[in-house]
Amino acid sequence: MPAIKVTDLKKVFKSKRKEAGMLGSLRSLTHPEYKTIEAVCGLSFEMEAGELLGFIGPNGAGKSTTIKILTGILFPTGGDASVLGYTPWRDRHKLAYQIGTVFGQRPQLWYHLPAIDTFTLFGKIYELDELVLKRRIGFLAETFEIGDLLEIPVRKLSLGQRMRCETAASLLHSPKLLLLDEPSIGLDVVAKQRIRDAIREMSKLENVGVLLTSHDAGDLEALCRRVIIINHGQIVYHDKVSNLKRKYLTSKLVEVRYAAEVNQDFQIYGMETLKVGRYGVKLRFDTKNTSVDLVMSRLSEKGSLVDITISDPPLEEVIARIYEEAA
Amino acid sequence: MRPFNKYWAIFKIQLLNVMAYPSELLGRSFSIIIFMLVFASLWRTAYGIAGTDTLQGITLPGMLWYLMIAETIELSRPRVSTTISRQVKTGELAYVLNKPYNFLAYHFSTSFADSLFRMLTNALIGGIVVSLMFGSPPPAWGWPLAAIALIGAWALNFCMMALIGLAAFITEEISSFEWIFQKALFILGGMMIPLEFLPGWLRTVAERLPFAYAMYGPARLFIDPSLEGFYSLLAGQLVWLLVLGGALALAYNRGARYLAVNGG
Repeated sequence: MPAIKVTDLKKVFKSKRKEAGMLGSLRSLTHPEYKTIEAVCGLSFEMEAGELLGFIGPNGAGKSTTIKILTGILFPTGGDASVLGYTPWRDRHKLAYQIGTVFGQRPQLWYHLPAIDTFTLFGKIYELDELVLKRRIGFLAETFEIGDLLEIPVRKLSLGQRMRCETAASLLHSPKLLLLDEPSIGLDVVAKQRIRDAIREMSKLENVGVLLTSHDAGDLEALCRRVIIINHGQIVYHDKVSNLKRKYLTSKLVEVRYAAEVNQDFQIYGMETLKVGRYGVKLRFDTKNTSVDLVMSRLSEKGSLVDITISDPPLEEVIARIYEEAA
Repeated sequence: MRPFNKYWAIFKIQLLNVMAYPSELLGRSFSIIIFMLVFASLWRTAYGIAGTDTLQGITLPGMLWYLMIAETIELSRPRVSTTISRQVKTGELAYVLNKPYNFLAYHFSTSFADSLFRMLTNALIGGIVVSLMFGSPPPAWGWPLAAIALIGAWALNFCMMALIGLAAFITEEISSFEWIFQKALFILGGMMIPLEFLPGWLRTVAERLPFAYAMYGPARLFIDPSLEGFYSLLAGQLVWLLVLGGALALAYNRGARYLAVNGG
């Protein structure tokens, strides 16, 4: 039985339209107009138990709405979904014991209290035996490297530290499935890596399935084997991450900063120059044609490097390419 | 026993959360001093103009003790409507709804913890102020009866505020409903003046509404305790709790279908 089975899922929101200004406000009172927003339009997919599935797309694509339907918070407008054998919106209470959730932009830890207080509370909420809870907290503290953070009020933690505590809290009751909605949003590179490592470790140790939504392609590359890309509430790509990388994530952006001023007609063979500043240059290259090693050596030949950043193209660009190919 | 453990744990953590800033909490409780000083001045004038010791059967000290209890109820009223509305607007609701507990019982526990400290400090500070101005409080044997009635009043207020809060599932913004509720409580609940001062027909209507059981009843019982009055008040509170509790459960089940959590 798949951990998640979604068939032709739809969610339509209705929102009131209002023209600008006082007159618009009055008009919306006397003649209210409504706009329907199709957040999810006929989504169908499956996810196996213990699988790490990436569910990515740009802002407003319908990722979070789908996650909220799968946790039973929202009722769908149409279609069907089964999560661990439960219909989420009908069996929300039973399902809650089996799943963990992290909404990256919303805190679940009590903000003014140390995280250990929330952990103890969750132990009661999920009806864990005290000894089991104590052992579990010890294990998670080690895996997420949060042992020395648990007794500090949450408001005093950095975002990265807080997110590690948030994710650990969502795993306290040993869920079979973890739904992560943008767990790495706003984190720096190091914090992102630590969260990713811990999630990967937990999935491997306890066979926890992970449905990960993100608009960061890096999360996907680091964690998932399979990926679903959605846009405007529909699936635009569904394949293995390795195939996506081979087809679309070969293009890399490089931002370089030199110690001395750079030539304004800066060019490097095998790379496309996007922008030239006084000391910095922005370029693009394709890993299919040019290796990262080669790029590094050619860049350093041009002068003394002060800083360098290599990143994936924005997801919007990847989606645009997928659309182009489909057309 | 396990379900009770959950809600006890929720109550405890919210109590800890509230007490994270005790000085701020205590500072807020001092507003009752101002209210009681204003009421004292106002009613001294009213009794002076009337040239009598009692108005509608209530003495001047009795009136101030009545208003002290009414203010304590008002200042300790659960703010659950504002909390639910904020949770809908910010998307926090996603976490509150996806845990294995009853949504309304969760809010009941957090709201009670939130109100408890405020109720105790307001009653204490308000009581000291009125004692200093008008002497000893009403007979002590009536206090436990009034305390039970205060809990009933709090529960009634919770049901009414939660019903307003659930409207946020559909409308998001509920401040206008809160405003109307507060004004109804001021007049029909007897917060500004005891119901005896209302015109006859309005008093008859007001005495049967839940607002009176949520404010006037406990305050009146405090200044004029009697077992008969206590049982009658408790019966009325229970009837309204059943009606409003049922309405609340129904509204929650219906409202969940319309819910649109913001953000994401």
